[in-house]
Amino acid sequence: MREQMMNISPIPAALRAQLAALQPPSGHGVWPFGAPAVDACLPGGGLPLGVLHEVSAMGIDVEAGASGAGFLACLVGAIARGREVFWIGPAVADLHPPGLLTYGLDPGRLVMVETRDDDASLAAMEAVLRAGGAGAVVGEVGRLGRVAARRLQLACLKHGTTGFVLRRWPHGRKPMAEEPIAAVTRWEIAPAPTAIIAGTPGPARWRVRLVHARGGFEGGWIMQAREGDHDGPHPLRMVAGLAAAAAAPDAGRTRSAS
Amino acid sequence: MPGEHEAPAKPAATVETLHAVRRLAAVNPEAAAAGLAPGQALAEARAICPELDVLDADPGADRAALARLAAWAERYTPLAAPDVPDGLVLDITGCEHLFGGERGLAADLSARLIRAGLEHRLAVAGTRGAAWALARAATARGTCIHAAPGAERAELSPLPVALLRLDARLVAGLRRLGLRSIGELARQPRGELTARFGPTPVQRLDQAHGAAEEAIAWPRAPEPWEARRAFAEPIGTADDLTRALAALAAPLCARLEAAERGAHRFTAIFLRVDGARPAIAIGTSLPGRDAPHIVKLLAAKLGEIDPGFGIDAAILTAEDIAPHRPPQRRLDDGREAATTLAATIDGLANRIGPDHIWRTEPYESHVPERAVRRVPPMTATRPAWEYDPSAERPIRLLRRPEPVEATALVPDEPPILFRWRGALHRVRAASGPERIAAEWWRRTMDDSRPETDLVRDYYRVEDTEGARFWLFRAGLEGAPRWFLHGLFG
Repeated sequence: MREQMMNISPIPAALRAQLAALQPPSGHGVWPFGAPAVDACLPGGGLPLGVLHEVSAMGIDVEAGASGAGFLACLVGAIARGREVFWIGPAVADLHPPGLLTYGLDPGRLVMVETRDDDASLAAMEAVLRAGGAGAVVGEVGRLGRVAARRLQLACLKHGTTGFVLRRWPHGRKPMAEEPIAAVTRWEIAPAPTAIIAGTPGPARWRVRLVHARGGFEGGWIMQAREGDHDGPHPLRMVAGLAAAAAAPDAGRTRSAS
Repeated sequence: MPGEHEAPAKPAATVETLHAVRRLAAVNPEAAAAGLAPGQALAEARAICPELDVLDADPGADRAALARLAAWAERYTPLAAPDVPDGLVLDITGCEHLFGGERGLAADLSARLIRAGLEHRLAVAGTRGAAWALARAATARGTCIHAAPGAERAELSPLPVALLRLDARLVAGLRRLGLRSIGELARQPRGELTARFGPTPVQRLDQAHGAAEEAIAWPRAPEPWEARRAFAEPIGTADDLTRALAALAAPLCARLEAAERGAHRFTAIFLRVDGARPAIAIGTSLPGRDAPHIVKLLAAKLGEIDPGFGIDAAILTAEDIAPHRPPQRRLDDGREAATTLAATIDGLANRIGPDHIWRTEPYESHVPERAVRRVPPMTATRPAWEYDPSAERPIRLLRRPEPVEATALVPDEPPILFRWRGALHRVRAASGPERIAAEWWRRTMDDSRPETDLVRDYYRVEDTEGARFWLFRAGLEGAPRWFLHGLFG
């Protein structure tokens, strides 16, 4: 599939090599989602580690940041591999540790950092990323400027710690106009109706859209959290691709315009 | 010291009221030259010197000023105490060589006091009693008197007995016996003196002669874990201050290491030229003695220090000392990682405050708000959490439940639609109820709110968009009231 896309791409091979040289060398490996449809959209066949990712919420979740937090808990729980996870933001006090267990993130290794505002959150994220030693860093940030994102990206590269920015706007504040993307990937997460079992809601499902992946492609899928204990290989399962109306015409596969 | 005011060229005095008589409490040199002395009645003083300026004495402010002066004098020694009402006592044992000996220290102190406009008399002696007496016996102001070691007895001998810190009643009693000088007193049989005047005169005599110990109430307990440094020139730039911190931290941390100890708290105090003492403090989550790390944490706070016209001494103290074994190098880097983590957490905690960084541990309570407890981020063991599939919990828990307008077909069932923060949600599926009662043993009895009113029935509901909420119905009786308490991921 990927090869087909490359063949029809108008970018010549020499230019492609030049573009690849401009990419920051992460060299810290990737974390595959395990679903070929998803991994094919990501450079290197999985979520790049040791770089900065951005997750924004959609709809009602812009304010509460619940779906994004659930999706991120699945990711960082697997990526951190037993190391400490820092969760930073002005409103982290509402993060409920027993709820994280559902997604396979052990609250015992979670260090919560409550900051005063976005600038303090970004500074704290950068400090932890630069120090190294953490399994992953999640920052709940409203406004993320291009310079700030670039600084975080460089801090990630220093020790290969993966950073996530969860875009979250406090109650009553309006999201600002979109800034240009400086992170390696940007995801948009919205809740999706779950599989109803005997009239009760099933495991969490998300409408996941990969709206930007440097060196990769856009895409959209429905993903579901694994239930119960997470001894299994993967905390996330792809349920379906997003319908044509929700993503790109060819079932969510266009060249990312970066 | 007390009662001396800013350079008035005219005679001036402060006045206090003693037994309904206004008396002079202190006089300035001009007033003294005019023949006035403390203790005189104001009326008499005015008769002698009609142009006398009179101010009310303020003993409280005098004491506070004396305490400030004692704190300032810590530049010379950590043992500096105010000696109420009008003196300072400094134990300079072992500190004098930093200032070029006793004479050098006394000259430096005297010069600074003169520059500050403080009239003083200064004496250095082997005992507090001797120094007290010699300083007060000095005739010229600002003189430095040095009793040679062992010469206290001879130097004190001609001085009046009042200089032994004896009260007026005792002095008058001794004078009636013809004992005017300390030397005369010292020649009397001790037993008879004690029988007649109580233990005080003999005790004071022994203390002045160095034959008896004297305890001094220092404002600070002797603090062994500290390093201090005085600078040749006042410094002020951030670079200089950082270098000064490094110079202080190195010996202090070496001492801590030699003692196999570490400190949880380090405080740097800067002694400014004008007497102010700005300080910065940092805390460490593990007992620390890594000098570069401590300097880095302190240097990050140097912005809070206003150097003013310059800083001429600095003190670094370590507090909250705990045993700390030397780091053990292992083949795997587990310990290294823990140290890195501790350093990261210290950096954050010192920037945003230690209360804003925490880990959580489960707490034995089924009330959702109380099921989580904050613990310090660096604990010996990781809190152990266990997944309980029977009690699904939201990922975001609102600090206080928010009321929602809900419509339920049957009172005992979950709602079919509800409105929260202005948005209407249609319920697609729901599970529950999970009944959670208040912890009655934590409440005081309150008849107005029956126990049944505090029962909550929690439901997990999902709206048509797929968003999942944690709602509860409060109370068992009356009209159902619905609240939203959390959101699922």
